[in-house]
Amino acid sequence: MNDCTDNDIREMLPDLLHGALGAGAVERAEAHLASCEECRAELEVLRMVKSAAVFAPTIDADQVVRRIPPYSKIVPAVEAPARSRLVSWLVAATVAITVVGVGSMLVTKQGATTAPTSVATSLPSATIPAQPTPVASKTPASGASSAVAVGTQPSHTHALAVAADVDGLTDGNLVQLMSDMNRFDALPATESDPVISVDSGY
Amino acid sequence: MTPSPEERPEETDMELINRWKAGDSRAATRLVGRHSQALARFAASAGEREGIEELVQDTFVRAFASLDSFRGESTMRTWLFTIERRLMLDRRRAERRSRETVPIEESDHVSEYGALDALIADEVQERVRRSLEALSPTQREVFTLRVQQGLSYKEIAEIVDSTEGAARVHYHNAIRTVKEFLSDE
Repeated sequence: MNDCTDNDIREMLPDLLHGALGAGAVERAEAHLASCEECRAELEVLRMVKSAAVFAPTIDADQVVRRIPPYSKIVPAVEAPARSRLVSWLVAATVAITVVGVGSMLVTKQGATTAPTSVATSLPSATIPAQPTPVASKTPASGASSAVAVGTQPSHTHALAVAADVDGLTDGNLVQLMSDMNRFDALPATESDPVISVDSGY
Repeated sequence: MTPSPEERPEETDMELINRWKAGDSRAATRLVGRHSQALARFAASAGEREGIEELVQDTFVRAFASLDSFRGESTMRTWLFTIERRLMLDRRRAERRSRETVPIEESDHVSEYGALDALIADEVQERVRRSLEALSPTQREVFTLRVQQGLSYKEIAEIVDSTEGAARVHYHNAIRTVKEFLSDE
């Protein structure tokens, strides 16, 4: 056992053995060793352990190098998976965009044919704007009796408007309404003017 | 005049790596020559009995194949020791599995220790070897890296995947065991 309490010196002993200490540290360690038998004994053990390591076989460096492939042959093997991963991501992104685009078009088309719950043509109670613009809209809370023009186009003979009730339509009006719905485009041919709220005072 | 490779003894490991990447195979030879014996000694000290040459070769092949991941944050030797230690652990796991299925022949022990005994010419060194065998595997790794390779606790902790404090404790426990073993004999 080493009863020496100078742990700093004891920690230095392997470094002293390998010549890894600075001049000042070497001087301090040697001064301590001169007066400490325990540390001298420990250094001797370390020296024996170090010298016992010479029994490892000699390695032929040329033989090792012959087994190492050139760097240029290693690099593509490392980069190849990264490139294919990028392509995979691009394909996945393209598929996702296509699915979302087609899906939103279908939803929009379906919504356009089913959204108006009450549509009237030439109804006495419906207010039909004389011009396609400006388009007046009203919040749902203000009552369905007020007319709201939806995506009207000048080419249409019959304007569509949200009416209070379809019960008031005659058979002829209903047939006309169905006919109009068949010709109705899901999206307006031209971008509509900004929607102006009735409640805003305009 | 550009000095020949033999006239550039102070080239760092990083410079040699860059030269090898540029196509200079002599740089690889110098790197292997610089570190191979330390790897062989570490393997022998860690208890490897056979196939040390193959182990060192495998270490270099694996290291050169992944040199792009070596950023020089540690020394190349520390990095090589880390790779070699993992290979040794893999090898021991494989040996343990095969030992579970294949009965050990008495001749296996004879050939293992006979080869090593032939290398040991001195009785003192034989005693040292036996004292190292009295250590736990981790103590032996830490102790030999510190004493035989002169590595710092920080480097040792990196190689054995531990902390500096734990490495320090392993070292002090190991030196106590070795000294007790040697004084009892």
